[in-house]
Amino acid sequence: MVRKPPSLLVQLMDLLLIELTNWRWSWRSLVITGAITPLLSVVALGFFARDSGRDTLAYVLTGSLVMSLMFANMGNVRSHFAYLRFMGALDYFATLPIQRYTLILAVVLSFLLLSLPSLVATALAGALVLGVPIALHPIILAVIPACALPLAGIGALLGLIARTPEEGSSLNLLVTMVLLGLGPVMIPPDHLPGTLVALGRLSPATYAASALRQALIGPVTGQIVVDLAVLAGLTVVIFWLVGRKMDWRQG
Amino acid sequence: MLVYDVQDVVKTYPGQARPANDHVSLQIQEGEIFGLLGDNGAGKTTLVRQMVNLLRSDAGSITLYGRPVAHDPLHVPLLVGYMPQESHALNNLSVGEALFFTAHLRGLSRADARRERDALLELWQIGDLRDKYSSRLSGGQRRLLRLAVATAGSPPVLVLDEPTNDLDPQRRKLVWDVLRHLNGERGTTIIFITHDAIEAEKVIQRVGILRDGRLVAVGRPSDLKQAVDRKLRLELIFPPDSSPDLPPGLVRREVQPGRWVVLLDWSDATTVLGQLNLAHLDDFRLYSATLEDLYLHYATLAEAPRISGSSL
Repeated sequence: MVRKPPSLLVQLMDLLLIELTNWRWSWRSLVITGAITPLLSVVALGFFARDSGRDTLAYVLTGSLVMSLMFANMGNVRSHFAYLRFMGALDYFATLPIQRYTLILAVVLSFLLLSLPSLVATALAGALVLGVPIALHPIILAVIPACALPLAGIGALLGLIARTPEEGSSLNLLVTMVLLGLGPVMIPPDHLPGTLVALGRLSPATYAASALRQALIGPVTGQIVVDLAVLAGLTVVIFWLVGRKMDWRQG
Repeated sequence: MLVYDVQDVVKTYPGQARPANDHVSLQIQEGEIFGLLGDNGAGKTTLVRQMVNLLRSDAGSITLYGRPVAHDPLHVPLLVGYMPQESHALNNLSVGEALFFTAHLRGLSRADARRERDALLELWQIGDLRDKYSSRLSGGQRRLLRLAVATAGSPPVLVLDEPTNDLDPQRRKLVWDVLRHLNGERGTTIIFITHDAIEAEKVIQRVGILRDGRLVAVGRPSDLKQAVDRKLRLELIFPPDSSPDLPPGLVRREVQPGRWVVLLDWSDATTVLGQLNLAHLDDFRLYSATLEDLYLHYATLAEAPRISGSSL
């Protein structure tokens, strides 16, 4: 009895389309909620930092973009994996001849696509409100997914390990606050205690903010190679952990 | 050909003292329609989840077509269509999309998956629902969709967890007719869990009865019925909110609110009927033993012997 599974590309495309249909009715509210908090943060922090110079405002803008990615990727992916897990939806996928990592990737990509409008809105509004000149570098095409993937992976992990959806939601808020506050994400390093700057080196948000700053405002330096390498490494490790924690087929 | 060989399987959930499956052994042959009966919590869903490799056994082995189910993660998904008791995976897909994607992900080409979708819409009589979203279907329509999804791609084995729940009598008949058709025309091996023992009797070729995690009986209904052949089924229907007024010493069981079933020896029937207070009854019926009685007999035995699971 010879039956063959579909190719990885077919798996990924079908699963991505299935995941995208999840947003048939809710995409507007998700886009708005993904943009509203970062926009408020741009306005509020921008108001306080308006006399602190262009560098500080650049941190406010890119930190808000990281926040936008966190809400639209980490938070929503966490919520979706909790849904898949607690509503028995993983059983459907686990009994199809597909690889678990294609499902994880499809979920993450669908949220990444969904997060782009709020990211663009935050960037444009931020540049307008803060008066930070945007000098877009083509490397932004690699930077955005590199920033979003580890954050989405953390969200997936939280959705899979929390004992209840409510616990997952609280954990997500805690992790969001810690990642934003740890290291030079929204605030320049010279305004932060040395300990926080040092601890920030362990946080993906620090590298994401740094990469976004270079690709969006410039200049692009050798640091971007370090940022992208760290983000890629974190993505691999976090996705591996997500695969291990996912209630999937045995063996 | 042996499809499933379940040998001495044990499964205890973390934090539970009693195993959900306690040394269950069972063999299922190609082309069989096998029904699993048992009370809620008897271990039926746990057993089928191990058979479709969604749950790891603590001890014992399960093979599908001679290969351990956990040996190759794609072995079961390529051969088995599984319908869980509940699933919300397809909530935002239309009925047509759900069938197409499932067939395509089971390895069919796009053109074949489209043909399969159309055939399934016709087979399960849900053509009029093709463009409706799953989340907007009624419970019965969703059940039919999930059955159609389980059969998408024509897997040679189907494992169905309560296929007729939520269905009206007409749709229940459709389900049994389609399952019989798939079994007769394609030789599909069908394993299902049901509480609908009377209707399932029309299609079941062999039955397994689980009680407290143990397989207490397995075999053809006709063979197993010999154990309760000398029994009659007395069904008693009491008015709502009234306590059953029954002669003392009867082993009775409430199968629905106000509906009680008693298994009687032939020799006791006249005496018991004479003792019934008809003024307190809405209705009563007396039958020879059915598959449901078989289930009730084995499921309620105080000390049921464990019966070996060899195929009859």
